[in-house]
Amino acid sequence: MYWLERHQLDNLVKKLTESYELFGPRRDKVSNEVIFDRLANPLELDLEAPIPYNPPKYILFPHYEEILRYRYDRQSKQVAIEKLSHLKPKALVGLRSCDLTGILCLDRFFLGQEFVDEVYLEHRKKLFLISNTCVRPFPQCFCVCTDSGPSAKEGFDLDLTRVGDRYLVEVGSKKGQNLVEELGLKEAGEEAAELKKKVVDESVSSFDAFALENKAWISRATNRLTTGFIKPEVWEYIGNQCFECGACSFVCPTCSCFNVEDVNRLDGTTDRIRTWDSCSFEGYTKMAGDHNPRKPVEDRRNKRFFCKLSYSQSKKYLRPGCVGCGRCARVCPGDIGLPNVVTYIRREITGD
Amino acid sequence: MPYERAVCNFCGTGCGHLLQVEEGRVRGVYPLPGHPLSQGRLCVRGWHIHELLQTEERITSAFIRENGELRLVLLEQAISYTAERFRKLGGEEVAFLASPRASNEDNYLFGKFARAVVKSNNLSLSSDAGQEESAKVLLAGGGWPAATGSLSKLKQADFILVAGGDLTKQNPIIASEIHRARRAGALVVTVSPRKTQMARLSQVHLRPVPGTFSLVFEGLTRILYEEKKFQADYLEKCTENFEAFFKKLEQVDLGEVVARTGLSLEILTEVARKFYESKLTYAFYPTGVQSLDRKTMSALFNLMLFAGKLGQGAGGIIPVTGISNLLGSYDLGLSPVFLPGYLDASEEKNVKKLEELWQTPLSRKPGQSVSACLAENKSLRALVVVDHDEEIIRNVNRIKELELVVYFGAYHNNFASLAQVIIPRPSYAEAEGTYTNAERRVQLNRKKVDPPSEVRPLWKNLTELARALGHDWKYHTAEEIFSEIAKVVPQYSGLTYAQLDSHLGLKWPCDEKHPQGTDYLMLDEAGNKFRFVLDENVRPQPQALAEQKADFPFKLTVGRSNYFWHQNSLMKRTFIPKREYNALLLLYPKGFVEISEEDARRLQLREKQLVRIISESAEMILAVRISPDVLPGQLYVPYFIEDMIPEFLLRQVAELEKNEEFFLPVRLEKAG
Repeated sequence: MYWLERHQLDNLVKKLTESYELFGPRRDKVSNEVIFDRLANPLELDLEAPIPYNPPKYILFPHYEEILRYRYDRQSKQVAIEKLSHLKPKALVGLRSCDLTGILCLDRFFLGQEFVDEVYLEHRKKLFLISNTCVRPFPQCFCVCTDSGPSAKEGFDLDLTRVGDRYLVEVGSKKGQNLVEELGLKEAGEEAAELKKKVVDESVSSFDAFALENKAWISRATNRLTTGFIKPEVWEYIGNQCFECGACSFVCPTCSCFNVEDVNRLDGTTDRIRTWDSCSFEGYTKMAGDHNPRKPVEDRRNKRFFCKLSYSQSKKYLRPGCVGCGRCARVCPGDIGLPNVVTYIRREITGD
Repeated sequence: MPYERAVCNFCGTGCGHLLQVEEGRVRGVYPLPGHPLSQGRLCVRGWHIHELLQTEERITSAFIRENGELRLVLLEQAISYTAERFRKLGGEEVAFLASPRASNEDNYLFGKFARAVVKSNNLSLSSDAGQEESAKVLLAGGGWPAATGSLSKLKQADFILVAGGDLTKQNPIIASEIHRARRAGALVVTVSPRKTQMARLSQVHLRPVPGTFSLVFEGLTRILYEEKKFQADYLEKCTENFEAFFKKLEQVDLGEVVARTGLSLEILTEVARKFYESKLTYAFYPTGVQSLDRKTMSALFNLMLFAGKLGQGAGGIIPVTGISNLLGSYDLGLSPVFLPGYLDASEEKNVKKLEELWQTPLSRKPGQSVSACLAENKSLRALVVVDHDEEIIRNVNRIKELELVVYFGAYHNNFASLAQVIIPRPSYAEAEGTYTNAERRVQLNRKKVDPPSEVRPLWKNLTELARALGHDWKYHTAEEIFSEIAKVVPQYSGLTYAQLDSHLGLKWPCDEKHPQGTDYLMLDEAGNKFRFVLDENVRPQPQALAEQKADFPFKLTVGRSNYFWHQNSLMKRTFIPKREYNALLLLYPKGFVEISEEDARRLQLREKQLVRIISESAEMILAVRISPDVLPGQLYVPYFIEDMIPEFLLRQVAELEKNEEFFLPVRLEKAG
């Protein structure tokens, strides 16, 4: 591990901006909220800011993206297909460990199965990832219940942990190693690992005092969801509160469902567009011939929590599909963010 | 920084969002967490507004119709052509239909153009008469035409009454606020015949027979009166006409209320008591297609006033606007009855004041709404329309007779095919402007992306048009127009762009007395006195007559379906909301009618069977959908099929009578 002094942070950022577009948490001046955004001005980067309201998912898996363009020539009956990607390399600085874990889940979905999603791959391979340990949890957090924080274990190029007024830097890749060497960071010595462990342990033990919004009994809920022993009334109670807005999927660092549309452009070409989609929509599961296996809203909600927490689904991600960021609870117009649903399930188990 | 702060332009909630702007296009949207009302939530429409903002299916240049064909022209040509045609028209020969989706700046100049340049008072908004009635009732009762309570304090409420419609569909984030308040301890009582999601999220659901809402509120008031649950000294001190109201109350017969509404005296009594005992009390009703009628709004106002729930704290009445700037449009006087600032258009002193401000003589001839003009005004020769409007299609034959139809719009639709001149409009992300939401919050949207080259803000085109007609209008920016609005509209007098830029909206009245805006109505704002709204002259509801006819045993009500919006002219240009709409459309290509299980069994109807719905004056064929949400004897039709409106619903205009808590007496026959 290495030491990054505060004044060296500017060098780090400057170095990154030479080869990457810079993304990181910034505060909106009027609303004072934290957004994980492209930073036109590196000075906007705020590594002390709380967990951003949006996950970095949109950088790898955009809300709306043209994935290819084609033109059909009527005379020759030929289709010309054009690839549409002109992606710039991007550096994501100050990722919280939940969000980095989210990226790893997306990797499993888009890259780790039978087919490799080339569009995603192209975004992914051009990223430089710098995670940032949460030395103190935020009110909405429950990553300790989902094994995704408060400190990143894998997947980063560099990982920062604030100790006093400087950062401990852990290297996670060759790219990261090169950058550390270019910056000439000082080696941190043998006591560094112990030091980092102490910071992380302190953070974990402060969850009871600071992470007050959500409590999630993830393992018990996983058990219940996997075995299916949850009364229909519980799902109905949850379904009644679903406004069918799709927000829980859109803000989830791991939700990867998408829709594909072909849009005819005025110049005669057609763009194939990929957009975010959500299992909360009725049209999402509708099949030809009017059949819909998940028509009632409670069935659709049920599906989402099965996807996030059941054992069979977790096998695909090699971890639970929930990373404990608490965003779904904040954006929900009802009261059925994942932590609350887990609470409803717990209430059913404990009977209180 | 590609994520930029803005205000959603769909419904009257006015949620804060972040638009992801990349290379001059809006590529995504995200909720703005710090927004005082939406607090980081959006509904299904709001989450997909970037799909609409990127559509290429829009009007990007001006057109003039020649020999029946639309010809592409330069914007300047369209303006000078229109000015030329206007010169040959007299003031009241022109009617102006404004858009509740346009910004305050656009709307203000549109109204000024009608009144000051063309000298026509035939100026109105579209079908949302509910908002105008609501403003009239609230003005008559408290001198304050919009939300009297504060949504910011809703979480502290202990009683919330929701009357009519389904806010979870129309204004989902306001419904979400109500749901939050319930979780914090409020009792939520929904009054609606159908079991809506709002009803499911309420502890008490009153299901009166359609058309008897006003009786429910009169009944509740009468119960309070009988149980002496009112503060006589408060009424004496704070209301002007309580004696007259008492007389009226004495005529309310609770036996009749029970018989006609179908609600038990026990449940009404229980609700009335809880209502009276509550400390912070709110009443919500939607204004729009599913609004209440005037009589019902008055009865609700009187109930709130009688129980001492108005002017004493943050609680009050919240009329919920269905379209982004519906309230702002009325604030700026886009109505034949109101001048900007809700000044009575029939009072000479108000017209004189406006003449001084505008430095031009104005017509004294009383104006009419556009639909009244089209129906009654034989001398009408021209029509100017902003955006699309569903109600206007009803008068398609009359519109075809007009000499000149000018359409300022962003999208091709049925109306564009009737226009002689089409002038394109930018999206809200392509121009600056302010929008006023249901809680009176005026919010500034800054321009995010450039419009196509031939697309300019409405105000700019109107300025050119006014100049071509010899009026020396000198507006160069939306901000200049807004500072004029601040001079003309007393409620906006303390607002500036600079101030709006540094706030997430401010609630009017914002003036010398309230430099930071006003959260809710206090007693002194009502001139220290409230009035009960007695409405002696309101016509009896026509359905009372129709009710007795045995040929039409069912009561048909209509509503919004989740993804339907204003003939879907916006939703069909998105992907996900369009797919959801298509999911319903594919299942029910001709639309559906919901019927109770009991009635379906009795009539031997099965799911998706086609039936003919017959009213006294029209009929339509729909598929059956058996639903636990409607009561026996009632039918419910969500009007998501475009043809349904002109072909069936709008032909019932005599029955609808502008009050929209209505039902149609119909019968139902198997079709084919």
